[in-house]
Amino acid sequence: MAEQIVKFIVNGKSYEIPIEPQMTLVEVLRDKLDITGTKLSCGAGECGACTVLIDGKPALSCLTLAITAKEKNILTIEGLAEGGDLHPIQKAFIDHGAIQCGFCTPGMILTTKALLDENSNPTQEEVKKALAGNLCRCTGYVKIIDAVLAAAEEMRKGGS
Amino acid sequence: MAQPLKPFDYFEPTTIEEATQILSKYGTKAKVLAGGVDLVARMRRRQAQPQYVVSILSVPGLDYIQSDKAGLRFGALTTIRSIELSPIVEKDYAVLYEAASQIASVQVKTMGTAVGNLCVATPASDIASALYALGARLRIVGPASERIIPIENFFVGVNQTVLEPGEIVTEVILPSPAPQTGGAFFKLVRTASDIAKVNVAVSLTVTDNTCRDAKIALGSVAPTVFRATQAEEALKDSTLEPKVVEEAVQLAAQEAKPITDLRSTVEYREEMVRVLVRRAVEKAMTRARA
Repeated sequence: MAEQIVKFIVNGKSYEIPIEPQMTLVEVLRDKLDITGTKLSCGAGECGACTVLIDGKPALSCLTLAITAKEKNILTIEGLAEGGDLHPIQKAFIDHGAIQCGFCTPGMILTTKALLDENSNPTQEEVKKALAGNLCRCTGYVKIIDAVLAAAEEMRKGGS
Repeated sequence: MAQPLKPFDYFEPTTIEEATQILSKYGTKAKVLAGGVDLVARMRRRQAQPQYVVSILSVPGLDYIQSDKAGLRFGALTTIRSIELSPIVEKDYAVLYEAASQIASVQVKTMGTAVGNLCVATPASDIASALYALGARLRIVGPASERIIPIENFFVGVNQTVLEPGEIVTEVILPSPAPQTGGAFFKLVRTASDIAKVNVAVSLTVTDNTCRDAKIALGSVAPTVFRATQAEEALKDSTLEPKVVEEAVQLAAQEAKPITDLRSTVEYREEMVRVLVRRAVEKAMTRARA
């Protein structure tokens, strides 16, 4: 099928680009728009590394046909910091050593944002359940959970 | 191995009529796209290679959960996450809530629709088991006609349904639970986001200490989800004393026809049918009497 011009809104910025319908969102972000913070790993919806927020909801960009995300608000890891200030979740991940190789981190942080937008005071069990779809092959889960709980506390105080 | 998708023609109809017409024109070469978690993953693995992809995401009016005295209805685009977060589902349709809350990851549930999960026709569907126990019916719309069928008549085999080319499941219809009805859902998994080795959904109606109605649905232990009708009959009209529950547990295990695969063995699955049916019946009983 022929290419068509599609409008994407990524991190508040509009892009009108030609795409083919078989392109997934992660391919458009990384290969067409050069927004490479979103990672492609399993390509099967198992690992969560490619998680972005579409209209505020967590989505696997490897299983999303890009064309179905046209004109929706897409948030990637690049759009989280504001004016050079890290988001409290990003800061908490750094402060708690919740980053090892860093490959799962963008997906972890965006899934965390979706959780905290919905539930500002999650229990440890709720954090585990919310992050069950994000794998960390360095297995640094304890620090990640600590970071999420700390970020939640910080954000409740008005950090963001 | 997940690969980039092969090219296909993409359609984005804005009415059900238009969608059914495109689907009937292209028959088995076309696939319906809703949440995409199953279809796109299979396309990446080359297990599905449709020449035509028909998205129903732009058809308005398919994403809702409505409840009234008659029961509960939800549409073809209602996500599993919406079902999990619905207060009415949690309160009055606990079996469905418990199934939805234990499925996969938040991302998969946020994208994936309950109807899409049914149409995949995996024998391991937690949603299907819950809907069997709740007596669900499905509204199926084709290019020239519409029909409503009980969910028991929907599945034909592994990944096979009664859907004809051009037909779309547009709605799931649940009757309002009878007074003093209780349900429970249990499953066994390797990890939180994996599919079930065994799942069990039970719904019991108990009045004057007598079981008036019993539904026991089992998943992952036969080519389709099914109801263990002999076990149900054992419970019906009984006072649910331990001896009767034990008889139903044994019958359910006999009715199951599991296989050995990478997730489990025949023997283990049979044993777990016993364990989970016992737990689900006991919990449903307690809830029905509450």
